[in-house]
Amino acid sequence: MAEREVDQQLVERVQRGDKHAFDLLVSKYQRKLGRLISRFVRDPAEAEDVTQDAFIKAYRALPGFRGESAFYTWLYRIGINTAKNHLLANKRRAPTSTPFDAEEAESFEDAGLLHEVSTPENELMSKQVVDVVQASLQQLPEDLRSALTLREIEGLSYEEIASVMNCPIGTVRSRIFRAREAVAENLRPLLETSKGKRW
Amino acid sequence: MKQEISALMDGELFEDEAESLLDRIKRDSATHKDWEIYHLIGDVLRQPEHIHCDLSAKVRERMQDEPTVLAPRGHAVKQKMRTFALSAAASLSAVGVVAWMSLQISPEVAPQMATQQAALRPVSAQIQPKSNDYLMAHQEFSPSTDMNGGASYIRTVSYSPDEK
Amino acid sequence: MRMCIAFFGLLLAAANACAGERQVSLDWLKTVAFAAHQTDYSGVFVYQYGNHVETSRITHVVETDSEYEKLESLDGPKREIIRHHGQVWCYINHKMVQADSQRGRSRFPSLLPEQLSAVSGNYQVKEAGLERIAGYNTQVILFQPKDNLRYTHKIWAHTDSGLLLKAAVLGDKNKVIEQYAFTQLQIGGNIDRSWVGAKDSAGRGAGLPVSSPETARGGAAINSGWVADALPAGFKKTMEIQRPMRGKHAPVTQIVYSDGLSAISIFIEPDDGDEDDVSGLSSRGAVNLHHKVVDKHLITVVGEVPPRTVMQALDSVRYNGK
Repeated sequence: MAEREVDQQLVERVQRGDKHAFDLLVSKYQRKLGRLISRFVRDPAEAEDVTQDAFIKAYRALPGFRGESAFYTWLYRIGINTAKNHLLANKRRAPTSTPFDAEEAESFEDAGLLHEVSTPENELMSKQVVDVVQASLQQLPEDLRSALTLREIEGLSYEEIASVMNCPIGTVRSRIFRAREAVAENLRPLLETSKGKRW
Repeated sequence: MKQEISALMDGELFEDEAESLLDRIKRDSATHKDWEIYHLIGDVLRQPEHIHCDLSAKVRERMQDEPTVLAPRGHAVKQKMRTFALSAAASLSAVGVVAWMSLQISPEVAPQMATQQAALRPVSAQIQPKSNDYLMAHQEFSPSTDMNGGASYIRTVSYSPDEK
Repeated sequence: MRMCIAFFGLLLAAANACAGERQVSLDWLKTVAFAAHQTDYSGVFVYQYGNHVETSRITHVVETDSEYEKLESLDGPKREIIRHHGQVWCYINHKMVQADSQRGRSRFPSLLPEQLSAVSGNYQVKEAGLERIAGYNTQVILFQPKDNLRYTHKIWAHTDSGLLLKAAVLGDKNKVIEQYAFTQLQIGGNIDRSWVGAKDSAGRGAGLPVSSPETARGGAAINSGWVADALPAGFKKTMEIQRPMRGKHAPVTQIVYSDGLSAISIFIEPDDGDEDDVSGLSSRGAVNLHHKVVDKHLITVVGEVPPRTVMQALDSVRYNGK
């Protein structure tokens, strides 16, 4: 799977001393890991701290990562351990139905388990982001939207998408890029504004 | 460069292209933002709830205090096979279909199957001296021996300066 | 033999007729294919792959219809390979570490006519200019595969003798994967033959070991029952033998497939649990090697083809016998 190879390449760069490659991994997995840790740590601000801790722990442990598993699987375990240790230190118990592996966790129904995961401000921000993305998506030409959906939701490779959409791989690459960029254009102003906010 | 970021995150660049792009991103914070926002879009599509998260800046700050980690030399990371689907290599898509011939089927009815045009990363793991015997046994019957004469045999006893 | 060569010529003509590009003369390709066998020469060449560079000397002489060849390393640990009459002797630091022999071979293996014709079917053969290498005029010939499952080959052949002065294996985007190039070369004339037959190259009076049918460790042709299904189009089986191998308790089955320019060998032997690392692909220049255990057998694939092809070949090896 191509996904895993990008991660592996980034990991190797970090292991060669490129800290910035780790930033890219953080950007990629911050939401996923954050959501996972929120299952354990109810308070949103606390959860955010614990998630940061987990990333730092992962960074320090990276020399020992040998690529036997996918990076996210490894990160996932560090996340769980960090969260559990945090609860122990604060004399709290972890929720009983903890998912055992990353795949299971993905398919876990969030709605039931996440309570007050965000501050109202974050919730509002989330909603706005989602609205903008969905609106932008609707405005896209059919072929751009399909290409992006096949890639992001169905997880198909460019070659598979080319086969499905009956077009050259170069076209797939271009469509996915244009779709992303179109949505991103609408998102950027929103995100810039939010960064300016301090509450 | 944005287009390359898009291809990079999907694992659709050849490794050397990816490496040089990553080198360039290091020096350019604007492209890091592109990487972030493209990933955000994917996350929204897959899981729209509670999407807002702005950790990366804070983690980056904390990382500045961390000493740079290096994987110690003894820990050779097991090289897994890399599979990057071909990017728009125009000449190769023109070649198109590649036929795999099953040796069980007689040549006339061999099915023409489109393959995974997977370009594998050039393997950096070196063939160990203990495998030289296989190379020598292979070299005996290789057309390269014919073309290049005995010069090809140098492969079978090639040494590596690091292995002593 | 002559009829077969003519057949090869005809096929090449047919293949290149539609190509519409600068054709390589068929007689010329024939000459190139046999030049290394028919010419006396001695020279120094540089072998490179990745960051590795090493220099070696090679000497080849023809004696009353029999060839002798010696390859000596000039860099790094002292290595020497001598070939004669179907046999190969390998010396590391003057100590003979290996001797191989293919019984019944009177001359060096040469491209079988079927293999020569295969080249035209599997590669586009084009002329790519003239260059000067080591003081000789050479013609550049490019062999471009029709798929990305094998490498491109580029050769620089001396315009008089056809001897290769330089050869390269190219991968994606014409990146050089491996290359040999002569830096000095003497063709014909007075070439040192003292090492032939009289004493071994270390000066000791042992001479080239005499091979007798009893001592020759040759391979016997067999039908092993093993097959590899997933090989690129145009690869044909050229050899299937059982042969002893150094350090192995039992003979090893070797099946060789070739497309005329590159070959893939599949080795099958019982797994004795020795392999400490039975996974992982490794390479040396244009050669890729991969192995794994299947059904208590250790399968090793070696080929001058890209890693993906070696991997797919390995995955498709199975036993089909009784």
